[in-house]
Amino acid sequence: MRSITITINGIECACRAGDFVKEVALAHGIAIPSLCHHSALPGQACCRLCIVEAGKPGKGKSVVTSCVFPAEAGLEVETDTEKIRRLRTNILELLLDRAPLGGGALAGFASEYGVTDPYTPEHPDEKCILCGLCVKACEKLGNSAISTMMRGIEKKVGTARDLPAEDCIGCAACAKVCPTGKIACTEAGGVRTIWEQEFALLPCPVCGKPHITGREYDWLKARFGADGDAGGTPFDAFDPRICPECRRRTSSAHAGTLPASP
Amino acid sequence: MKEDIERIVALYPPERRFALAAMQDMQRQFNYIPAEGLDALSAAMGIPIAQLYSMATFYRALSLKPKGRHIIKICDGTACHISGSEVLAAALHDAIGIRPGEVTEDGAFSLETVNCLGSCAVAPVMLIDDTHFGGVTPDRLAAIIEEVGAK
Repeated sequence: MRSITITINGIECACRAGDFVKEVALAHGIAIPSLCHHSALPGQACCRLCIVEAGKPGKGKSVVTSCVFPAEAGLEVETDTEKIRRLRTNILELLLDRAPLGGGALAGFASEYGVTDPYTPEHPDEKCILCGLCVKACEKLGNSAISTMMRGIEKKVGTARDLPAEDCIGCAACAKVCPTGKIACTEAGGVRTIWEQEFALLPCPVCGKPHITGREYDWLKARFGADGDAGGTPFDAFDPRICPECRRRTSSAHAGTLPASP
Repeated sequence: MKEDIERIVALYPPERRFALAAMQDMQRQFNYIPAEGLDALSAAMGIPIAQLYSMATFYRALSLKPKGRHIIKICDGTACHISGSEVLAAALHDAIGIRPGEVTEDGAFSLETVNCLGSCAVAPVMLIDDTHFGGVTPDRLAAIIEEVGAK
C-alpha cells in the first residue's frame, strides 16, 4: 500500500494510506484515549472516546472517531484540543452514568478528565458500557461463548440462556480486554472461575505455575494440532501451557540459536 | 416437534446467512423457537449457540417462549399513540386480562405493541394475526376479540 505522511499534533507521521488514525498515532507514541478498542481486534467506534479533530489543510477540521478514520495524504489531526477535551468530558459523564461502578480504563479516564457522574444513574450497580469488545475477543480468540443478548434498554452481554456455556473454554480473553472490569474472573488453588464456571488450570511445564485452562489447551490442540508432548511439530516452541514469563525466557534463548542475519 | 425441526433445518444450506430464515420458520411452526431448534440449527450451520440466542433475543418477531394462537399487535407508533393506543391496551387488559408481552392462560391470545404498521390514516390500528383493524375504539374491541377468538 502507498506510503504517505499525515500530521498528528504537529508531528509528521509516516503510514500507509487507509491506516486508521488511532493506530498511526500509537505507532508514533501518541496515545489517544479509548475504551472499546484493542489493537488486535477491528475498531468498533462505539465508546466515542477516541474522537479527534481531523481535516485537510485549509478545509477546516471535523470531529471523527480515530479508531476507524482512515489516513490520507496530508491529513492534519489534533488529538487534544479544548473542544475535544470538552466533548470527551461529556462522553465520560454519559458512560459513567450508564456504568457507575465501571472500573479499569473507564475509571482511569474519568479521574484523568476529572469527571464524575452529574446525573442519577438508572442502574447504580452497573459496570458494563456495552462496548462489545469482550464479544469480539471471544469470537476471535475464544469460542464465541458470549454475545449481546436482548436489545435496547435490556441489552446485555451474556451466554446463551444465561447458563454456563458449553462453548466457553475459560480463556478469559473477554475479562482481559474488558475496559471496565465487568467480567469477573478469579483464580485460586489451580482453578479459574469465570462466567459461573470453574476451570482447572494446567501447570506451566517450566515453572509449574498454573497458567492455561485444561479446556483451552484441549481446544487449541484440536484446532491447531498443537501437541506439547510430541516432538517435531511447530507448536513445540509455543506450547500454550508455558506461562508468558517462561515463554519470554525460552523464546529469547531460542533466538540466540538462530543463524545470524547476513 | 423433532421431525419439524429437522425438516426446517434441512430446508437451508448450512450457511450463516440462512439462520434467520430458519428461525422465522420455527417461529411460524411452533409459535416460538424451542431450545432444541436453536441447538439443531447451531449444529447444522456451525454457528455458535450464543450468536443464535443473540439474534433470537434481538428480533421482536422471534420469541423463545410460546406465544398465543392469535397474536394481537397494538400499533404504538406516533399517530396511534396520540389517537389512544394506550386506551386500547387498557381496554384489552380489561377484556382478556393480559398486558403487552403476555399470553392468556388458555393460550388463545398474546399481546404485543409494535412501532408502526404503516396505516397511520386509520389510527389507532390493531393487527390480529394477518388482519388489520383501523379506527379501533374500546367499544368495538369486544366484538373483534369474540370474532377472532371463535376461529
